[in-house]
Amino acid sequence: MHPVDTMGQNRDGAEYGFAFLDEDAKRELRRSIFKAVCIPGHQVAYASREMPIARGFGTGGMQLTLALLGPDDTCKVIDQGADDSVNAANIRNFFALTCPGVTGTLRTEGASVIQTRHRIPELKLRADQILVFQVPYPDPLVVVEPNAAKRRRMHGRADYARLWVKLYEDMVAFDEITISHRYPTRINGHYIIDPSPIPRFDVPKLHQADCLYLFGAGREKRIYAVPPHTDAVPITFNDVAFAVESFRDKTTGKRHVCRRCGADDSFLDEFLDNDGARVFQCSDAAYCDMRLERLEAAK
Amino acid sequence: MKPILDVETLTRIHGPGCPACLDVTGPEHDTNICRHCGSVVAVAGASLRLHKGEVLGIMGESGSGKSSLVKMLYFDDKPTSGRAIFHDEGQAHDLFALNEAQQLRLRDMRMGMVYQNPSLGLNFDISAGGNIAERLLMSDELSYRAIREKATALLARTEVPPARMDELPRNFSGGMQQRVQIARALSTGAPLLFLDEVTTGLDLSVQARILDLIMELQEVTGVSMLVVTHDLGVVRHLTTRTIVMKHGRIIEAGLTDQILEDPQAAYTQQLVSSAL
Repeated sequence: MHPVDTMGQNRDGAEYGFAFLDEDAKRELRRSIFKAVCIPGHQVAYASREMPIARGFGTGGMQLTLALLGPDDTCKVIDQGADDSVNAANIRNFFALTCPGVTGTLRTEGASVIQTRHRIPELKLRADQILVFQVPYPDPLVVVEPNAAKRRRMHGRADYARLWVKLYEDMVAFDEITISHRYPTRINGHYIIDPSPIPRFDVPKLHQADCLYLFGAGREKRIYAVPPHTDAVPITFNDVAFAVESFRDKTTGKRHVCRRCGADDSFLDEFLDNDGARVFQCSDAAYCDMRLERLEAAK
Repeated sequence: MKPILDVETLTRIHGPGCPACLDVTGPEHDTNICRHCGSVVAVAGASLRLHKGEVLGIMGESGSGKSSLVKMLYFDDKPTSGRAIFHDEGQAHDLFALNEAQQLRLRDMRMGMVYQNPSLGLNFDISAGGNIAERLLMSDELSYRAIREKATALLARTEVPPARMDELPRNFSGGMQQRVQIARALSTGAPLLFLDEVTTGLDLSVQARILDLIMELQEVTGVSMLVVTHDLGVVRHLTTRTIVMKHGRIIEAGLTDQILEDPQAAYTQQLVSSAL
């Protein structure tokens, strides 16, 4: 029987406990979270549970969120900045179904737990908020070293020269660093993490933030964290500055703005509208809506 | 003359090992396999001293333990017993008593290795310049411009055309791969270099150029070298002092001229007379 058909009930017809996972699973997850917070950037191995969605669809983030949620929490789920994609909407519905009392929200400022895929919200997160990332590949070294045992030793020794070699090769070929997402970032001066596929634009938000960032990789069975007020420095050369996407028009040199709300400080999605024209729009839908509301109110 | 490397009774036994291993193997038994436990005695009680700026040859047939000895000194392998002292910048490092991080730090910054097979010493998936950059980055050089300049200079010194610096070494000829490897080994200005059969498998004219290059670099930098080879020509060309190994034991040591002109051990006589 498909697990979704029996949602809310186990095989004997009795109700599931709060937040789908059994208490032992949640306790293990919380312990792993504590360990991850205590060793910033270190990948903590944990027993990733089966979830009623496939591995690779955000099971790591989901388990973290389920372990964190309490009945009085408000949660928000975003996918590439939007709340209404199939993946995000269904995960939010799942939380509403399995966590009685938890309310879903689309507003960044109203959420206590935010689960995200590929973006950090534009609004600065507060100390009472937690951002949970869905992570496909937790280890930044996987691109240079296929052997997992060797990678763990390299992390222990902070032996990251080969990541810089990648940057060197990039500089040689393109005269700039072309990593667009999953930018290797050094946490608290030691471990380098793969900050999940967030764009370069979002990497500076990890540095000395007020909120807690948690990363969960369900398929790879790893949890890691960037605690509040912790250094998070994208790796680069002494004489090559780290730069975020500028969104400047190549011909005019001016920064593109959102066509809906006119924001000039947000991460923009570029696409073709129905007439085939190139347009730009905020990737963070909640931020865009909030700005529109304010503009309406001001009128 | 000051010593740079002191090796004391270094032993490496592959297999379970038993108390009789060392007594029933060696040149006098004409085997390095223990008949009791089947262990292979790769190196037994090897002691040697390498002085600063000296080029020491290690000669012997295949399986005599010469590569095993050097691999242990470069931390590619762990010895069963024995110790080695590396004298560097006024400090004496007991190589096998250091922790792994310290060992790798010495290996990355203060030692260099040129393997017979370039695929061991080079990463074929990154450019020639990138291979040099990797060594420099390991030694905490973090300026892109400085890395680029150093890599260019090193490759120019080892006669790799600068135009090919950004190509993958897998597309290079064997001789050129070997020159990139030498440039990589030299990149951090290490005082100690291990050369493991560097010219084996190259044709004669390329061999001669590589040997000339090594000699020239040695004269300029004054680096100490341990040269492993089974080629008498290489030994004659490069080294001042030579040791001869057989079945894991050092059976003869002395000045290269002396060993080649007036070999004492029967095996060395055979080795010298069998040269074409």
